Amino acid sequence: MIFLSDFLNAEVVDLRQHRIGRVRDLVVVMTEPFPKVTGVILKGNPKVQSLDWAVVRSWDNKELSLKVDESSLQPHARADNELWLSRQILDKQIVDMDGRRVVRVNDLQLSQVDGNLLLVGVDIGSRGLARRVGLEGVGRRLTSAARRDWPQKLISWEAVDPVKSDVSSVKLRIAHTKLAKLHPADIADIVNELSPDDRSAVFAALDNEKAADTLEEIDEPQMQASILERLDVERASDILEAMAPDEAADLLADMPRDRAQLLLQKMEEDEAQDVEELLAYREDTAGGLMTTEYVGVLHTLTAAQAIDRLRELEPDAESVYYVYVVDEEEHLLGVLSLRDLIVARPETKIRDFMIKNVISVRLDAGPREVAEITSKYNLLAVPVVDEHNRIQGIVTVDDVMERVMPGRMGGRRRRRIF
Amino acid sequence: MTSPKALQRSLGALRRRQVRFLLLFAVVGPGVITGTVDNDATGITGYALAGSQFGYDLLWLLIVTAVCLVAIQEMVARMGTVTGKGLSDLIRERFGVAPTLVVMAMLFIANAATTVAEFAGIAGASQLLFGELARYLAIPLAAFAVWFLVLRGSFRSVERILLLLSLAFVAYIVSAFLAHPDWGQVARHTVVPTFHLTAPFLLIFITIVGTTITPWMAFFQQSNVADKGLHPDDLPLERVDTYTGILALNVVAFFIIVATGATVFAHHVQVDPADPSAFAKIALALKPLAGHYAEQLFAIGLLNASLMAASVLPLSTTYAITEAFGWERGIDKSFGEAPAFITIYTTMIVIGAAIALIPGAPLALITNLPNIVNGLMLPLLLPILIVLANDKRIMGRYANTPLFNVFSGVVLVFLSLVTLAFLASIIFPGLFKA
Repeated sequence: MIFLSDFLNAEVVDLRQHRIGRVRDLVVVMTEPFPKVTGVILKGNPKVQSLDWAVVRSWDNKELSLKVDESSLQPHARADNELWLSRQILDKQIVDMDGRRVVRVNDLQLSQVDGNLLLVGVDIGSRGLARRVGLEGVGRRLTSAARRDWPQKLISWEAVDPVKSDVSSVKLRIAHTKLAKLHPADIADIVNELSPDDRSAVFAALDNEKAADTLEEIDEPQMQASILERLDVERASDILEAMAPDEAADLLADMPRDRAQLLLQKMEEDEAQDVEELLAYREDTAGGLMTTEYVGVLHTLTAAQAIDRLRELEPDAESVYYVYVVDEEEHLLGVLSLRDLIVARPETKIRDFMIKNVISVRLDAGPREVAEITSKYNLLAVPVVDEHNRIQGIVTVDDVMERVMPGRMGGRRRRRIF
Repeated sequence: MTSPKALQRSLGALRRRQVRFLLLFAVVGPGVITGTVDNDATGITGYALAGSQFGYDLLWLLIVTAVCLVAIQEMVARMGTVTGKGLSDLIRERFGVAPTLVVMAMLFIANAATTVAEFAGIAGASQLLFGELARYLAIPLAAFAVWFLVLRGSFRSVERILLLLSLAFVAYIVSAFLAHPDWGQVARHTVVPTFHLTAPFLLIFITIVGTTITPWMAFFQQSNVADKGLHPDDLPLERVDTYTGILALNVVAFFIIVATGATVFAHHVQVDPADPSAFAKIALALKPLAGHYAEQLFAIGLLNASLMAASVLPLSTTYAITEAFGWERGIDKSFGEAPAFITIYTTMIVIGAAIALIPGAPLALITNLPNIVNGLMLPLLLPILIVLANDKRIMGRYANTPLFNVFSGVVLVFLSLVTLAFLASIIFPGLFKA
């Protein structure tokens, strides 16, 4: 990744390796969607104070090499709509729509696209801070020695709206309207940095599906709960309905009991029932980990009918890995992959080609046992059954891994972006 | 339709309200609050030690420190009014991450040391009032009270009560008069500098400078000014407020020195700050007023001053640090909302209380120590203030005038010389004769 701090103070040398000066600042012109670097401001040389980005040939290791001689350099031609990155954006306060403080711009992320250097992101994390004082390497060694993840915290430039309030400062705004266009994981990153009131404001701006996805991406259960608590009951229950039942149950478990009850009552009956069942299981068992969103089809169907049934159910991506074959009492008889269904002749009964020896776990199995089984048999999800072999739900591999190795999966999923 | 008479009446009311606003502002504006909080445990102890050990010899220094304060506090008040930003804001935006980290680390250390001193002041006061063991109850109690009132109670009303209680300082003024000092001597020492090139004198000298001119005051006053949302048009008013605060601060300092000079010094009582009985000896200064209750009166004043500073100092430090890194802050926020804010604030109070609790700690010495740390930090902070106040992009037409720069430059040279002299006296102990 390229950052503004890699350029600041870098030595500038011309074609004949003569030192010209050092980089004071980079100039961008405000193009959409990402600003483009057009010039370099120099220090340490009274004769050459700026140059166009076009004459830069390459850079590495804090050195900027030019395509031309010092003698043929022209000063950078000022244009309208320009920003000096270090002077006008770096270190500025990021505020939300209500003018409340969120964090500061610790560094700026640049990216090379089609020969242009673009400003693509804002670094708001501790890595950015460490990088600015030359300690990122030390920090990374320390964190890896402690077997900890040290994720970059970046916000896409698209989510940021510089407001030129006066000449002395540029305030940055996270525009809620732009937020809605981002990936839920990105929104979750930003929401993490906001104050509780503002989090709720952000959620109020999202539709139910997006709000549900974003809520699922937030790692801290308490934060999830506090966001939901600040929304009105109708809206909160709508979002809960849109969430996966297992996530919704986890979330409700972290809420005050009476509030959770109220929300459950307001939810559609079907969804509420799923969630209530999950709530009954202890959190550290397969029952607590599982989701009730799985695809179950009757063993009497043909392959074609089973595919039709899938179309009706419109299952989420998370639950479509396997199709479970059940009888009328939901006893687990077999399992099919989507591939099996599609390649089978349409009129074949599914019980004739299903895999009868299904790997499953009991409701009270511990997370470690579930993890071992999924990894031993290379499963993406494992069905959970009660004592009579009736299917109750499935545990997906990422849910169980997150429980067994906290941080790792979360870190990977949340790491970034462009 | 409004009659001309009614109009005139309402205009008059409006003008009266403006006058009242001006008066109120001058009485409890950011400058006055800052000045009053600066008369904390370290301040009282510092001035009292000066008067006890050297009589009126150091009175002239108060004029000098007042002038230095005018230079510094006028600049921060102006920056706060013009930019609406705190000092940390400006430092981070103008100088970037590395200098900000250095300044914040120094500020944290200096203010943590001062917070220890405030709790030591609380300990000392409680010992005078209730006996030797009272500190072990008083410190945890005070720490919890300060923490709780600021984060969970109404800080503003607590602050107002403490400000009102600081009228107790009037006791020193009365006591100074009742002690019948030689006013001719007092006047002479106020305008004619006296200087002894000895280690104890230099120590008291830098102590007075360090306790009067502190880095946290700059941060505290600018944040307060910025929070008030003043407009550049309010600058004259804010200047009045600043000068009033400095005047109030130095008048109290002046009479503490006179009162101790006319009593403790005049009766040749030896006061050693490392001696546990130092507070009791200093309290003699209030004997002309309070007789046998001098110790109690001294203790109440010290307790009040320490409590106020013990709540304001960690708070102002926490504001400065969270501001520098742009984190959510505010005393009405929960831990989930502003974790960094609550953590830093709590840490400072815990550190302060814990160190002051150490058995047998020389309290008067601990109260004196932060003056030195502050004194060392000032020559580093002042250039930063001068650069900021000169930056036309930040200050526009309110940037420093050349004359003001000469003024603040002289102040900087003076403060640097004091610090250098002090460092020299530490590194070469034999340099100045004892």
